[in-house]
Amino acid sequence: MNKHATIARQSEVGQEYEAFLFHEARLMDNHRLEEWLALWDRDCLYWVPCNAEEVDPNRQLSIIYDGYDQIRERVRRLSGKFAHAQQPKSRLIRVLSNIEIESADDGTITGHSTFVLGEVRLNRQVTWFGRNEHTLVRTEEGLRIRRKKVFVLNNDTPMPNMTFLI
Amino acid sequence: MNKPTSPAQLAVSRGLSIDDLVEQRRVHSAIYTDPEIFELEIERIFNRTWMYIGHESEVPRTGDFRLRKIGRQPVIMVRGKDGAVNVMMNRCLHRGAVVAEVESGNTKFFRCWYHGWTYDTSGKLVQVTADAGYEPGFCEKKGGLARPARVEDYRGFVFASLSDDVLPLREHLGQAADLMNYLIDFSPTGKITVNAGVNKTVYRGNWKLVGMDGYHVNYVHASVVEGWADDENSGIAAMHKNDPFSDEALTRTRDLGRGHVLLDFREHRMASIDKYVDFLRSIPGGPTYIDAMFAAYGEEQAKRNLSLAGDPHLGVFPNLQVLGNQIRIMNPVGPDETEVLMFPVLLDGVPDEINALRMRQHESFYGPSSSGSPDDAEIFERAQMGMNATVNPWIDMSRGLNREIVDVDGTRVGRISDETTQRGQMREWKRLMSMA
Ligand code: FES
Ligand SMILES: [Fe+2]
Repeated sequence: MNKHATIARQSEVGQEYEAFLFHEARLMDNHRLEEWLALWDRDCLYWVPCNAEEVDPNRQLSIIYDGYDQIRERVRRLSGKFAHAQQPKSRLIRVLSNIEIESADDGTITGHSTFVLGEVRLNRQVTWFGRNEHTLVRTEEGLRIRRKKVFVLNNDTPMPNMTFLI
Repeated sequence: MNKPTSPAQLAVSRGLSIDDLVEQRRVHSAIYTDPEIFELEIERIFNRTWMYIGHESEVPRTGDFRLRKIGRQPVIMVRGKDGAVNVMMNRCLHRGAVVAEVESGNTKFFRCWYHGWTYDTSGKLVQVTADAGYEPGFCEKKGGLARPARVEDYRGFVFASLSDDVLPLREHLGQAADLMNYLIDFSPTGKITVNAGVNKTVYRGNWKLVGMDGYHVNYVHASVVEGWADDENSGIAAMHKNDPFSDEALTRTRDLGRGHVLLDFREHRMASIDKYVDFLRSIPGGPTYIDAMFAAYGEEQAKRNLSLAGDPHLGVFPNLQVLGNQIRIMNPVGPDETEVLMFPVLLDGVPDEINALRMRQHESFYGPSSSGSPDDAEIFERAQMGMNATVNPWIDMSRGLNREIVDVDGTRVGRISDETTQRGQMREWKRLMSMA
């Protein structure tokens, strides 16, 4: 992580970035799948590495390594009535913090954030922790996600289902 | 919890004996829920039969090690100085602490930091700290870390048995070994590497629920099956052309003996092999790969090797499965908790794109956020919950008994949705559990 990263609130672009992340978090918490899908640029990567934070995705397993088509398929599947692991759906609240801007120019903003995510489903509560890295691009429709990487803190331990949007 | 000390005492579990628990058409759900039976499984199955430990390519260099389990017992798989893969119990000879605590690494020595005793990669105790406190020659006399009674490998698949009373591994595997070849010889050099990480998952259900089941696919995986229709030529869809899970298909369930079971796609896939080879030629790196396979094995054998896409869909009792693009280990944690470790397998001697694609295919169906295995885990948990209702405690496993046949090679064969595989596993379960 760049030592010159700036706290998001200290700049206008940072506030815009933070607002985008909060919006995305609300859509994910509430399973607003189609609206969440619309946040993605067609040219995108949604990456949740496995076993470590830095891995070579062509030689090492990831938990999620989706391009746009795979994200759309994920949304299609989770929207249907046969995704049993999300019947009933998880109740979710995530708290985003430590939002920092790594770099920003006219077209692109890259930054980091951390989250704590509480999940409740079928009488069980699971607490998840993670670190996000979002690269957003400015398009005619507004900011869109070009790249999102999520390091899930326990990605090298036996994990229960993580079938909601992370 | 009191450990059962004799079969007679086990029979006390709800007043039932092993014989009563497993019948041909049905099994009693206590075998999935009862803590005493679970303890006895640890003793009589996991501590007695051949257990898959890991693949030799996971420890390529001298001193490379991985931590694994035999049932609940911690072991180290390590490449020794002589080039052999050693399997040793991860337990200090002094007061029992583990001598290796991180899951993998490279080392010359295992040092137990409780009191500093040190072992080399063959397990030999090479140093006892402040040894004036012991008689001379103590260190030599102590020997080394304990070992399983038997360690053998089949083409790089390392197995260990804590009991000496087992068949030679090759014999124990029987036809299962031939099926494992379908993964290994999906590489033009006949070599695979298992060093691409692991999905570790856990579900709140019994280890036997993982099974090998051709009946559940259209229901548990309905969300995926629904998508195949949309995307006819995607990797997985191409493999599942002409619904392999229909009882009219050429697919079969097979009981290979000794609890090893198979969803047998061989004939089904050979029926459309030329189309599949064309598909493989159309993907990045495909032409080079196919040419290498044809050159290595000759066209006819190469096609057979290609037909299953490296996925024999094989269960090797009790803790190994070879399916999808992965090697899978099941670790029993408790009667109602199981860890499933999925290791994607890379092929030697193929273009990088082929391995990258294998990784993406794996991720799409397997792992905690994928489209497939989470629904399996969910259903296993529902089964575990349901089995707490014991007014009628029986699990029905009779499907296909009316049409099961014994093949010329002695294996039992059913239609793809038949419970031939479940019955095969239970037959071996009963055999092992009945041995005092
Ligand atoms: S327990 Fe290992 S040195 Fe004492
Ligand atoms: Fe399944």
